[in-house]
Amino acid sequence: MAKVKKSTGIAIAAVLALAVGAGGVLQLGSGGGSSEGGTITYLTHSEAWTHADPNRNYTGQHIAWFGSYMHRTLTAYARAEGAAGSDVVADLATDTGRSSNGNKTWEFTLRDGVSFEDGSPITCEDIKYGVSRTFATDVITDGPTYAIGMLDIPSAADGSSVYKGPYTTMDNDTAAYDKAVTCSADNKTITFNLNRAVGDFNYTTTYLSFGPVPKAMDKGDAYDMAPVSSGPYKIEKYKAKDEMVLIRNENWDKKSDPIRNAYPDRIVVRFGLAEEVRDQLILSDSDKNSMSLDSVLPTNLPTVFDDSGKPKSEFATRALNVYDPYVTYAAVNVKKLPCLDIRKAIYYARDYAGLEQLSGGAAFGGDPADGVIKPLMGLDYAKVTGLDEFTPQGNPTAAKKYMDAAKTACPDVYARATDPNRGIYFDFADTDTSKKAAAIWIDSMKKNAGITMKFNFIEAGSYYAVVLDQTKQGDLSRAGWAPDWANASTVIPELFTEAGGFPMSQNWGDPAYKAFKEKSDAALAEPDRKKQGQMWAELNQYVMDQMWVIPGVFSKTQEIWGSGLGGVFFWEPQGAPSFGDIYIKK
Amino acid sequence: MQSVKTQDLGLVSRSPRELAWRRFKANKIAIPSAVASLSIAFFAVFAPVIAWIINVSPTERDANAITARGETIGILGGISWNHPLGVEPGIGYDLLARLMYGSRISFMVAVITTFATVAIGLMIGIVSGYYRGRVDSIVGRFTDFLLSFPSFFMIIALSVPMIQRIEKSGIARYNSARILYLILILSFFGWPYFSRIIRSQVLSLRERDYVVAARALGASNRRIIFKELLPNLWTPVIVYVSLALPGYLAAEAVFSYLGVGVQPPSATWGLIIADSTKYILNEPTYFFVPAASLILVVLSFNLLGDAIRDALDPKSEQN
Repeated sequence: MAKVKKSTGIAIAAVLALAVGAGGVLQLGSGGGSSEGGTITYLTHSEAWTHADPNRNYTGQHIAWFGSYMHRTLTAYARAEGAAGSDVVADLATDTGRSSNGNKTWEFTLRDGVSFEDGSPITCEDIKYGVSRTFATDVITDGPTYAIGMLDIPSAADGSSVYKGPYTTMDNDTAAYDKAVTCSADNKTITFNLNRAVGDFNYTTTYLSFGPVPKAMDKGDAYDMAPVSSGPYKIEKYKAKDEMVLIRNENWDKKSDPIRNAYPDRIVVRFGLAEEVRDQLILSDSDKNSMSLDSVLPTNLPTVFDDSGKPKSEFATRALNVYDPYVTYAAVNVKKLPCLDIRKAIYYARDYAGLEQLSGGAAFGGDPADGVIKPLMGLDYAKVTGLDEFTPQGNPTAAKKYMDAAKTACPDVYARATDPNRGIYFDFADTDTSKKAAAIWIDSMKKNAGITMKFNFIEAGSYYAVVLDQTKQGDLSRAGWAPDWANASTVIPELFTEAGGFPMSQNWGDPAYKAFKEKSDAALAEPDRKKQGQMWAELNQYVMDQMWVIPGVFSKTQEIWGSGLGGVFFWEPQGAPSFGDIYIKK
Repeated sequence: MQSVKTQDLGLVSRSPRELAWRRFKANKIAIPSAVASLSIAFFAVFAPVIAWIINVSPTERDANAITARGETIGILGGISWNHPLGVEPGIGYDLLARLMYGSRISFMVAVITTFATVAIGLMIGIVSGYYRGRVDSIVGRFTDFLLSFPSFFMIIALSVPMIQRIEKSGIARYNSARILYLILILSFFGWPYFSRIIRSQVLSLRERDYVVAARALGASNRRIIFKELLPNLWTPVIVYVSLALPGYLAAEAVFSYLGVGVQPPSATWGLIIADSTKYILNEPTYFFVPAASLILVVLSFNLLGDAIRDALDPKSEQN
């Protein structure tokens, strides 16, 4: 499970993942000290937040935004630049959790004086109720499902949990949930009983889905439009395709919340702006106190950044170009494309250089990926070998070699791939840039490998809903993934095991799958972090040997904001600006 | 074309066709606009040949014409001997080739739509003007109904469901479905204007002496329509065609710009212009070239249409 990449065209998106000494993050725009008051306006092309319900927030940027302004959790990432941002600190809890029973039991005690926006105190029951909503996967869709995977609740015969969340009354083993999550008598201490040892469970609890939800206010699916605040701001107005307005939450007490700041008086999000308009509003600095929530259009990059990717002098204090946590790739549906040679031919035939030009060059798009683990992951990354024939412009010699091999090894797939009337189908989100990228793919496949490539363009908003449906997925599907925290345990099992949260590669028909699954399970259970890292690197190597993905880029992202804002820095663990620390300069 | 000289009086008798041709030649803008229109049509029809001769292609990327970050190399959007009108930034397609191939789609939509509206408008106009009475009032109310529709918004609003319908029905897919939709919907909303013109023409023609005489001689309705009325309707047809064609060319560009028409990688002018607006600050040439081309085409076809109308129908108002 983890941060799914927003389905934009080429490799451009949010920002740097966990940890590991990533450079390039500076405190920007710090002219004058922080100050309170004013209205910060956020601009976005999206028609609404994907989700505002804390149980359904999953992209790093949304977690950063709602976590900064509205939703509190047991623990949170430190509000600091660079690697320090990946430290976990206490939020609603008094400390970062106490483990016992060999990391299988975790206990958190709530602070005094924490309350919802209506003034009622936040209790253990509220958090327990919030976590229980995760289990209602039919109502509370799209959210992280760590609670289901980790809590000690038995599985039913079909593999699903016997507990189905708070909305189901029939055949629902509520007792099992009550046993796994317990509250102390004073309703202040919550205990999680896990089904396995999880040494970094307090990283998991940084997810907003481990935050409180008042049962009386829960309206199921409709809670998404009117979530109750536990943070410094509450919703005054939220209308899709229009705007969201946050005002101060009078019942939030700074004394009970050491990590959040509350600088502006109002926060406005304007939805549904044309991408051009959004960029121009910021570039022309027409509202000095506004910030774009989206990445800069490739076409506007030369206005803001010089060739090396540094902001030009007039944008020096209000633009950012950094590595984000994402790796983009084309997930191979191995069931439909059970031919390693064809997969390799696709990889070598691709015109990487052309796609890079389209995304604005390496200074903005990022570096060619050699797998799904980014070098920023430190311990877990090792350079993948066996890809020496890769050339940026596409390598027709290598591609043809593998096509020839495919002719004898898998004649059926070969016949389909080279038949102009059938071909290989690639799922893409429907944007202007993606159509140009498609043209580059089609050309290079035809020219370098003789493969006919066709595209399914899927409306951007429903892209992942479609491609995650195994019956609707094509041969290849564009995807992007970022680790949830600095461990490839949030990458490899999620992407490549059948039970994973994002198994787009559909490789379990592959003869190699069984051994892979065993190794992945072994790595998950490995207590020695260093050794675990090596195991992840080996599995990453194996994924590339099997070409279960066609790797794209280790991507970068660009952020721009108005000259009136200060305190903007890149919050590495969420891959987004630390919204809560942004203030209006005096 | 024959002219009989009547030397006695020093007068020359000329056929209407000759007269029209003389008036056409006398019009100062007629010949230049005709030359421009014909050469643009020539470029569109023979796009593959011309592209082959000057060695450009609308789908072949020239990775060397753009920098590693996708900007065009050289002045004015990469205009050079290899790329006479520059290249498309980001992807490196030759702009001249894109424009030539794009104009084929634009012309196809415009020509077929014009032809369809003329055919439908002519038929319905004649029927309602000739038979009058109940037929006329039923058809008349229906055309009123269509004319009162806010067609522009309807075309945009209906595009998504209609295109899906077309794709589902299996008649056409993807861009073909979009082209088909544009042709169908533009024709559907386009013919009432023309049928109104024809109806009023027929209303006056049917009372002329030669029609009355034909009827008195026992000619069938069919004969009267085809032999007596139709030949006298060619002037409004030609005038309408010459004005509708550039109108639909511009309409196709507008709808493509708004995302109703074909989608990349195919290109029409509207689509290229829509794409170029994203680059307007950094690559202004990429916007100005297709925009100027569109103006040139619509202007020359419009002027040609005006000239033809003046030549064929000198009594009509100059406007």
